[in-house]
Amino acid sequence: MRGIFAALAVLLGCLVARAQDAPPPLSPQCEAPAADIAAPAPLPHLADLLANKSAAVRILAIGSSSTWGVGASSRKKTYPALLRNILEGALKGVKAEIVNRGVSGEVAQTTAERLRTAVALDKPDLVLWQVGTNDALARVEAGDFEDTLRSTISWLKASDIDVVLVGLQYAPKFVRDDSYTAIREALKKVAVAENVLYVSRFDAMKFIAQNQTGEQLISGDDLHLDDLGYECMAEHISRAVIANLFVRRRDLPKPAPPAPQP
Amino acid sequence: MRPPNEIDFWRGLALVIIFIDHVPGLVFESYTLRAISVSDAAEIFVFLAGWSLRLLASSRQMRAMDGFHVILRLESRAFTIFAAQIVITEIALAITAAGSLYLENPLLLEWNNAAAVFQDPMEAHIGLVLLSHQLGYFDILPLYVVLMAGAPIVVLVDRYAPRMLMPLSLAIYCATLVSGANLPTWPVEGRWYFDPGAWQLNFVLGFVLAGATGLGGFVRSQREAVRWLAVPVLAAGVIAAHYGWSPDPLSLPEPRLFLMFDKTYASPPRILGLLAIVAVFGGGYKYISTWAHPLAVFFSKLGRNSLNVFCVCSLLSLISQFVRFWLGGGLLTDTLVLLSAIACMYATAWLSEWRERIKP
Repeated sequence: MRGIFAALAVLLGCLVARAQDAPPPLSPQCEAPAADIAAPAPLPHLADLLANKSAAVRILAIGSSSTWGVGASSRKKTYPALLRNILEGALKGVKAEIVNRGVSGEVAQTTAERLRTAVALDKPDLVLWQVGTNDALARVEAGDFEDTLRSTISWLKASDIDVVLVGLQYAPKFVRDDSYTAIREALKKVAVAENVLYVSRFDAMKFIAQNQTGEQLISGDDLHLDDLGYECMAEHISRAVIANLFVRRRDLPKPAPPAPQP
Repeated sequence: MRPPNEIDFWRGLALVIIFIDHVPGLVFESYTLRAISVSDAAEIFVFLAGWSLRLLASSRQMRAMDGFHVILRLESRAFTIFAAQIVITEIALAITAAGSLYLENPLLLEWNNAAAVFQDPMEAHIGLVLLSHQLGYFDILPLYVVLMAGAPIVVLVDRYAPRMLMPLSLAIYCATLVSGANLPTWPVEGRWYFDPGAWQLNFVLGFVLAGATGLGGFVRSQREAVRWLAVPVLAAGVIAAHYGWSPDPLSLPEPRLFLMFDKTYASPPRILGLLAIVAVFGGGYKYISTWAHPLAVFFSKLGRNSLNVFCVCSLLSLISQFVRFWLGGGLLTDTLVLLSAIACMYATAWLSEWRERIKP
């Protein structure tokens, strides 16, 4: 009898591990190379929470219009709402509580001020910070943008809060815009220097736009995301988050074998 | 028109600083009050609004009014500010739409929290009128509407139980900071950028300190001592602002808002910073008036017509954002933007006074 229970426990463990180890597959319309979605970076606090069988994860989704959901057909189709469903489906037994604090058209410095208050009041485990597009449009100096990002990220890391940077969206008319390029580069640079997860929306969206003929992520105005755009955004972010939970796991030393019984 | 005076001067200067602070990326933004204090021009503006309320409440006309007429008088002022907010918001939306059309860039429709209006006009328009939807940088007047709507309470409590005013204001402030209570925004979920429950303290402090008796009278009688006490506070603010230092909110004991440098909740360090500025620079006008008289006249003119100038200042800051997007930033563009804006603000003040002068 004990053997049957042990076998069932192993099987259950395998199933749970499988559910958690494998990020959910991307929809065919949202397929993009992993390298175009995000470079590996650890999410240590989130990994610890899940390792300790925490039943709830609090996520603060902050940023501008893509966080609030401009172009989505309903509030259920915004990326934070979709992300919650994907995460809860993939991380069985975990309840993802997401607070949406998107304010359209906001530059990083203003968001950073709101972020500190929101973090102090909402105490999230993970911050998803969608940032950059408006700084590029407002012609904010890349150096000032970098400073804002660095100081905020350092504070979040020191406070044991994981952060995922969600980058600028792709729009064909901005491919050659100097300011857009400078802000994208600054974002990438900060993500590498601070070793935080950076979801490069620009590259993933560009790949889809160039390779998935017939799929429209952007609405008729060539700039705003549509429902499919938000679906892909949510899938890419959740894929990056889940995949990178195991970057940390792989990095952890293997548990020592049990000591022989006397 | 009343002659140039200290209150109008500082208010005029605060308006120009507000303009600079409302154009993100402008090269001059590193040289405003924020560079030397944890507080900024918004605190000064609200404090001086409270100060002006005292001047109004002390006027012969207001003192002769009974409670009912005090309420009518101040609520009609609140309505004027509300109307100004609605008008400038609508013009700001038109500027945003025009900028987006002319520059062929729909992303510009999202600037300053405007996206909801173009995406979801039914809900957003209800929100605009209810003040639950505020465009970015167009969020001071909604606070001012609430403060002015509550101004009869300030004036009447001061009239019938003056000793109760500060304790009452402090109690509301503390309850707000302990609970984190704030008005919700809708249809975009969030909170007001300026929490009226917290910011009313700035307003009431301005009102109380402007008084000839009570706390205001006491502080005035101890002016030099207060000034010396304020110097280290101001110096600490300069150092904190220079090094960008602020306490880590998560390492602070609960209730955290009491020690944070938080703007939404006008946290105590920011109020202290404001009071230090007032204590150190208050009275300095007489030197400015002596040694730089044209400046005293210029800024006083702006401050004397503060609501009109503020409205134009808000719209100019939005136009400047579009100009910087179009031409790119830089010292030359930004200098032209600033000088043009100050000229327009002055023209607004001049026009407002000219209209008053030609009234029969």
